[in-house]
Amino acid sequence: MGQFTQALTMLVTTPLVPVAILGLIWGIIGGALPGISASITMALILPLTYTMEPVNAIVLLAAVYIGAEYGGSIPAILIRTPGTNSAAATVIDGYEMKRQGRAGEALGISLWSGAIGSLFGLALLVLLTAPLANVALAFTPMSYFALGILGLSIIASLSGGSLLKGMIAATLGVMVATVGTDPISGLGRFTFGLPELLAGIKPILIMVGLFAVSELMRQSGSKGLDSTIPELVRIKLPNLQMMRKISKAQGIGCVVGTFEGLMPGGGGSIAAFISYNEAKRWSRYRHEFGHGSPEGIAAPEASNNTVASTSLIPLLSFGIPGSNSAAVLLGGLLIHGLVPGPRLFEKNVDVVLGLYTGSFVATLAQLLVGVLILPLCIWLVNRPRPYLAAFILALILSGSYTINGSVIDLGIVLFTGFVGYLMILTKFPFLPAILGVVMGPIVESNYRRSLLLSGGDHSIFFDDAIAVGLLIASVVFLVISVVREVREARQEAKAA
Amino acid sequence: MIKDILSGGVVLAVAGFYYLGTRQILHSSLEDAVGADGLPLILSAVLAGLGVLLILRSLLTLRGKPAGKIPVVDGEQRASLPRALGLLAIAAGYALIAPVIGYMPAIALLIIAVAIYEGIRPSWALAITAVGGAVGFWLFFVWLLGVEQPRSIFF
Repeated sequence: MGQFTQALTMLVTTPLVPVAILGLIWGIIGGALPGISASITMALILPLTYTMEPVNAIVLLAAVYIGAEYGGSIPAILIRTPGTNSAAATVIDGYEMKRQGRAGEALGISLWSGAIGSLFGLALLVLLTAPLANVALAFTPMSYFALGILGLSIIASLSGGSLLKGMIAATLGVMVATVGTDPISGLGRFTFGLPELLAGIKPILIMVGLFAVSELMRQSGSKGLDSTIPELVRIKLPNLQMMRKISKAQGIGCVVGTFEGLMPGGGGSIAAFISYNEAKRWSRYRHEFGHGSPEGIAAPEASNNTVASTSLIPLLSFGIPGSNSAAVLLGGLLIHGLVPGPRLFEKNVDVVLGLYTGSFVATLAQLLVGVLILPLCIWLVNRPRPYLAAFILALILSGSYTINGSVIDLGIVLFTGFVGYLMILTKFPFLPAILGVVMGPIVESNYRRSLLLSGGDHSIFFDDAIAVGLLIASVVFLVISVVREVREARQEAKAA
Repeated sequence: MIKDILSGGVVLAVAGFYYLGTRQILHSSLEDAVGADGLPLILSAVLAGLGVLLILRSLLTLRGKPAGKIPVVDGEQRASLPRALGLLAIAAGYALIAPVIGYMPAIALLIIAVAIYEGIRPSWALAITAVGGAVGFWLFFVWLLGVEQPRSIFF
């Protein structure tokens, strides 16, 4: 009850509401721009949070995430081009409805289902995060080291398709994290005589480079959209009868989204397709799927919005981001010196409460803002792509400079963008690299702290039950991934 | 597959350079059993091992395929690399000139350069958009948020 009162007080005494709405607007616009995913939308605004109060910064990022998940469905429905990956499943029936002259209805179903998914995910986030974080109270430095190894091995094996490439990306990420002053001895490492590198390379710069700059480079020279969005579209929220019709599909979306959000490497796009298939399987109106089914929009939209909240559960409890967007949010937390886990719930309860309250505000406001902002989104999506590229690059460079006021940072962002572009060409996943940068210092400092405790004896890791369990889980995970890859390679060879 | 072999080579080179950097790390009498260079040494060895594995895996896959079916770097990707590098060069140009001519003129030039590079014809409309954009960015970052942006050395 005390926390509820505190949350209400925050609503009137802090700029939480305008910040959440601003984040929502930015998220919807970013998500609506084809090629700009939720994580890129968040990465673009991440540098701006540097100078903000921690609560506002985290609320802004969370609201952007919520907004981007809805925004992605706008071009998916109107021009058959998903704004974000997780809106890809919405294209199937959304565009069909648009062709039948029901674009406004399709957008309304998407908006309503997104809000239902967000609320459901948010409720789970509030209920599950704190108890899970309390588990982490029993963690020793050895357990934290093992948790870091488990996180890296899960993400490396799940996020890219190739375990080997995932592991290489994760190792490169940890290497980047070793730049700067050694946390134990205070000696400089890989600083090349540049004092700017003594404090290390901030994960935020790597995120902006990998997500935003590499995507701009990838899109360079592309023609952009072949078709433009008709300017006269009005959102029509579903009536009671329609709400009843799509409720089962929404429920399926929420359940699938919960599991996918909790699983590292799952993500909104997988959840959206699974829930689409399940909704079709369980529907009384199965024949409508693929021909403009409202349920075909409701299920994926509810699921990807549920993922937006539930993917924050492992992040806030253990510091393991399960998706690119959660990794950017982790970057936002770290910028302000906030470390996920039980201490976050003890020392920074205002941030956690702010996150819950801000997300709730953003979810409710989504229904109104989504309707009001549609003309602006349509106008922006219809702008020539070269102008969009120019303004996005200007935003990236301006934002990156604000972090330290250093041109060196711009160099780091651009170099990382180049590396990211090569990673796209050679199909190396980003998430393990990001996780490596973020978790590298945690893994190293806990590894060395453990050895300080034991006087250099590695057997200390086998004396800690949690550490042993987590390390065994890491090995099991890697072995399963290797077996799976070998089996897939054999099947491919047979097929050829 | 060819791309994976090349990637493996690059990974090996990175591991080598990183190892050389590791040798430059100083030692302190205060350091622990692992030392400041402990993790970097492990990482360089792990990366080199993974690079070798990537090359070996690609070679094994190649060996099992008939010569005509070996995929190479496709033409579209080869063509897009210089374009992408061009965009990066423009961004690098901004990083170099912004501390000389100042934030607003540099942003305006950046918008013009990127827009032209991406296919917009030079026009007054482009110039006005660029200047308007630069003013907008200045108002947002410097005036509204009060954050530092590059200052001109002249004024």
